[in-house]
Amino acid sequence: MKEKLTREEVLHVADLARIKLTEEEIERFQVQLKQLLDDVEKINEVKGYDDDILIACWENNAELRKDEPGEMLDPKEVLENAPRHSGNYIAVPVVISGGEGA
Amino acid sequence: MNYIPTIGVEVHLELKTKTKIFSNSTNGYGEMANSLTNVVDLGYPGTLPTLNEEVINIGIKAATILNCKIRKQMHFDRKNYFYPDNPKNYQITQARTPIGYDGYVEIEVNGEKKKVEIEEMHIEEDTCKSAHRGNKTLLDFNRAGVPLLEIVTKPCMSSPEEAKAYLEKLRELMLYGNISDCKIEEGSMRADTNVSIRKKESDPFGTKAEVKNIGSISNVGVAIEKEIERQKKIYDNGETFKPQTRRFDDKLQDTVLMRIKETGNDYRYFPEPDIPFVVLTDEMIENVQKDIPMMPDERRKVYVEKGVSEINTNKLVQNRPLSDYFNELLNENTNFKIASNLLLGDISAYLNKKDIQITDTKLTKEKFLDLIKKYEDNTITSKNLKEILDIIMESDKSIDEIMKENGIENITDDSEIREVIKTIIKNNPDSVNDYKNGHDRAIKFLMGQVMKETKGKANPKLANDILVEELK
Amino acid sequence: MKYNGMGIEEIHKLLKEKKIKPIDLVEEAFKSIEESGLNAYITLNKEEAIKQAKELENKEVDNILFGLPIAVKDNIVTKGLKTTCASHILDNFIPIYNATIVEKIKEKNMIIIGKTNMDEFAMGSSSRTSYFGAPRNPWNKEKICGGSSGGSAATIANRDVLFALGSDTGGSIRQPASYTGIVGMKPTYGRISRYGLVAFASSLDQIGPMTKNVYENAVLLNAITGKDHKDLTSVETNEDFTRMIGEDIKGMKIAVPNFFMSEIVSDEIRNKVKETIKVLESCGAKVDYVDIKYIENAVTLYQIIAMGEASSNLARFDGLRYGHSIEEPKDINDLYYSTRAEGFGDEVKRRIMVGSYLLSGENAKTYYNKALSIRDDIRKEFKNVFKKYDFVIGPTTTTTAYNLDDPMDDPSKSFMDDILVIPVNMAGLPGLNMPIGFDKDHMPIGMQIIGNSFEEAKIYKLASYLEKKLDLNLIPGGEK
Repeated sequence: MKEKLTREEVLHVADLARIKLTEEEIERFQVQLKQLLDDVEKINEVKGYDDDILIACWENNAELRKDEPGEMLDPKEVLENAPRHSGNYIAVPVVISGGEGA
Repeated sequence: MNYIPTIGVEVHLELKTKTKIFSNSTNGYGEMANSLTNVVDLGYPGTLPTLNEEVINIGIKAATILNCKIRKQMHFDRKNYFYPDNPKNYQITQARTPIGYDGYVEIEVNGEKKKVEIEEMHIEEDTCKSAHRGNKTLLDFNRAGVPLLEIVTKPCMSSPEEAKAYLEKLRELMLYGNISDCKIEEGSMRADTNVSIRKKESDPFGTKAEVKNIGSISNVGVAIEKEIERQKKIYDNGETFKPQTRRFDDKLQDTVLMRIKETGNDYRYFPEPDIPFVVLTDEMIENVQKDIPMMPDERRKVYVEKGVSEINTNKLVQNRPLSDYFNELLNENTNFKIASNLLLGDISAYLNKKDIQITDTKLTKEKFLDLIKKYEDNTITSKNLKEILDIIMESDKSIDEIMKENGIENITDDSEIREVIKTIIKNNPDSVNDYKNGHDRAIKFLMGQVMKETKGKANPKLANDILVEELK
Repeated sequence: MKYNGMGIEEIHKLLKEKKIKPIDLVEEAFKSIEESGLNAYITLNKEEAIKQAKELENKEVDNILFGLPIAVKDNIVTKGLKTTCASHILDNFIPIYNATIVEKIKEKNMIIIGKTNMDEFAMGSSSRTSYFGAPRNPWNKEKICGGSSGGSAATIANRDVLFALGSDTGGSIRQPASYTGIVGMKPTYGRISRYGLVAFASSLDQIGPMTKNVYENAVLLNAITGKDHKDLTSVETNEDFTRMIGEDIKGMKIAVPNFFMSEIVSDEIRNKVKETIKVLESCGAKVDYVDIKYIENAVTLYQIIAMGEASSNLARFDGLRYGHSIEEPKDINDLYYSTRAEGFGDEVKRRIMVGSYLLSGENAKTYYNKALSIRDDIRKEFKNVFKKYDFVIGPTTTTTAYNLDDPMDDPSKSFMDDILVIPVNMAGLPGLNMPIGFDKDHMPIGMQIIGNSFEEAKIYKLASYLEKKLDLNLIPGGEK
C-alpha cells in the first residue's frame, strides 16, 4: 500500500472542496489525507449487514407547512453581514458567466 | 448522409405558490431586490428547511395531469455545487425519489398522434437571480427558494416540430392545471434540450449536446434544427465532438458552446438529512386529484359533442376563463351553440373593451342561461343585445328588469300582433296583390309596416309567421 | 460562598426570597471566569447580561431557571451576539436571528453569560482546533478538557455557571463531560430543535445540557426540548425528565458491551467501571456482558457520514453573504478558494476535503451509502438489546484527559478519542456521561449510560441513584 497521496490527488480533493493549498499543506495533506482514506477503507471489511439504509434517525415523517407567508428580512438586514454590496444587492466582486442552472 | 435525431427536453417551471418551497417567505416576481427573503433563503448558518404543503399538492396535480405514477414515499437529496447564485452551495432537489415518473403527454404533429414519454418530474428550489453590472455581479435572493418543478422527457422525440408540439402542449396543460404561469420571458418556464444524432435506429445514441437558456418555444425549434445541422457537419467531415453544454444565442439564432462536460457531473448527491420522509396517503392524493380541472383535450371533445362548432371550440379552449365559465353550463339544458356564439362574440368584445375577465362581471350563470333562452326565442334580438349588453354585464338586475327599463318589450302577444297585421293588410291591398302574384319582396315591405306600427317591438319571427298566415 | 456552586433549588429559594438578585450570580460568574484563566469562552456577553440581570429584578421569579446564568456553545446562533464556531471564517459574524433553543432559554429568563470555546465547527476531540486557542481543564490546566464542547465543560467544572449548552455529533458533550467530571446528556435525536445550531453533520448533531449534577441536567432538559416547526426532524415532548429521579433501581437490567470493556480502554478506567458495576449489582441491578454487532465499526461509519455531510454543510462559507472574505479576489474561484483557505483550520480542511471525495462520483455508493446501510444495522442491534435491557453502560472514554501539548499530527486521533461515544449518535439514542471517580493523577473518569430512544428520564433515574451512592467530591481543587 502506498504511503501518501500524489500531489494531483490532493489538489483534486482540494478542488472539490474549493480550498487553495500552500506547498507546505499539499505535502502534509498527502500523508494525512491518505491516513483518513485508509481509515474509511475499513468499511469494506464489514460484512453481513442488510440492505436497508438509515438516512437519519427520523422519528416522524415530514410535517408539511401551510402555504402562508411569514416575516421577511428588510433588505438592509440582508446586506448587514455581506462583505460586499451595491444598492440593494449582495455583490460578487467579479463578473461570472454562464450558470450551473437549477 | 441522413441521420436520425434523438431529442429530449427538460423543462423547469416555477410553481404558483404563496411562499417558497423550503421557507415561508413570499414567492413573488418583480419586487424590490432582496425584499422577499429570510435567513433560510440566504443559507444562514444554522437554518433548516421546512416543506411547503402546496408544493407537494401541485406536484401531485402535475404528475396526475402528465399521466405519471406518483411516489408515495419520497425524500430529498442535496446536489452539491459551488456557484454564487446557489446560497448554500447545495441545492435541495429530488434525485432518487422524484414525485412523479413514467408519464406521457399526447401530441399531434402533421396529423399524426404521438406520446411523448415523461421520464420523471421532481420538485426542487430555484437559485437566486444574478445580474452583471460593470465588473460586478449583483445577487437578488428574491428568487432563491422559489419552488420549481423539473419535467424530464425520455430521449423520444425525433424532430424540432415534435419538441415544439410537446412544449406547446405541456404549457397548455400546466396553465390549465394552474401549476405555473409558464411565462418564458419572466423565467417561470425554462426549457433545455438534449440533442444527438445517429445513422440508424439500431445504432447506439450519438454524442449528446445540451442546449440551455432558450427564450421561446419557437427558438427551441430553431436551436434543435441548428444543433442537428452542426452535428451532421461534424460527422460528415469524419470528425467527432465531446459531450457539451451549449446555449442559444438570440441574436445569432444559433447555439454557442458554454462548456465541455467533464466525465460525469460530480454533484456529490446524497440524501438530505434535514427533511424526513414525505409520505403521501391515498386521501391526500385523492383530495388533490378531485380538484383538477378538465384538461383542454377533454374540453374539445365535450364541446363538439354539445354541438359547438370546431372553430368556436378551439377559440373557447384557448381562452381559459371563458372556457371555465362555459364548463359551468355543461350540466344545464341550454343551447350551447348560442352560448358559445354569445361568449365569443358580443361578450368577448365587451370584455376586451373593458379589459376585464368574465368573472369580474355581473353575468351570473342563471342570468346567462336566461339570456341564451331569450336570444334563442327572439325575445331579445341581436340589435337589442348590443343596446343593453353593458347593463347586463354591470348591473345586478335581471334581464327582464333591464329590458323593461330600456323599453325593450317585444310584443309576443299573438292577438295584439295579429290585430296590427290585419289592419296593415286592409290598408295595403296593392302589396297584398303583389305578394299573391309571387312578388316575394312585398312581404318585406309589409313586415316593415308591422315593425313601424309596433315601434319595432313585435317579435320579428312571430310577426313574420302571422303575416304569412293572414296572407293565405 | 460561591452561589454558582450551590444546588439549583437552594439558589432558586434565595432568588425567590430576594436574598440574592440575578446580578449577584452574573457578577460572580464573570469574576470566576476572569480569574480562572481557562479560556473557556470565546465571547463574553457582559454588558447585555448585566443589563438583563438588572431588568429581571423587577420581575417575578416565576420558574426554577429564572435569572440563572447559562453558557452557550459558540455554534448556537445568538442574535446580536457574535457566533464564531471557533473559526476564523466567522470570527466577526453577528447573527441576525436566534436559535430556537436560545428563544427557549430567554423565555425562562435565563441569562446568557457568553459563548463557549470549542473545536472549530465542532470538529475535534480536545477543543484544540479552536481558532481562539484551547480551553484548559480546571482539574489540571495543562490538560485538555476534551471536545468539541470543551469550553462548556470547563466552565461547568469550574463552577462559573450552573448551566451550559453543548452539542454532540460524535460524543462532543459526553466526552468532555467525562474529562472534566461533569454530567452531560446527548438526548435522543430530535428531542431538541437544531434550528440555529450551525450544522456539522446534520443527521447526527444534537444539542444537550451540561451541568454539575444529574438533577440540574434534567431540569435544563425540561426547558429546551420540544417540537419546533422550524426543524422537521424535531419531535413533540411532553414530560418531566426529573420525574423518575429518586426511584429505586432494583431489578433493572443493564448490558455492558464487551467492546466497551476491551483492551482499547485503559486499565484504570476499566477497573473503575467494574467497581461501579459492582456497586450497581449490590443495589439490585442485574448486569450482563453482551456483544453488540457493528459497534466496533461505528468510528468508520462516523468518519464517512460526518465528513461527507460536513463537506456539504460547510460549503455555504464562501465569503459572499456573511463571514470572512478575502481582499480583492481575482475571480470567483479566487474568492472561494482563498477565502476558504484563510478561513478554515487544518482539521476542518482535512474533513471537508475527504468528505467531498467520499461523496464524489461512484464513491457515494462505495462509502456513503454503505455507511448509511450499516448504520441502520447498528440501530437495529441496539433496539434488540433494549428489548431485553433497560440500559447499556460502559466507560465514556478510553483514557482520561491528556496533555494540551500532546502532538496533533495524527488525523485519526480526534476520531479514536470518541470510539466509545460515537455508536450512540449512529443509533440516535440518548446517552449521558456521569463522573464515577478519578485516576491516579486525580483526573475524572466518566461512565456513559445509554438508554432506548426517548428514555432520558430513565437514564436520569439510574444516574442520579448512582451519583448519590458514589457521593464524589467533584469540585476541582477541593472546596470553593
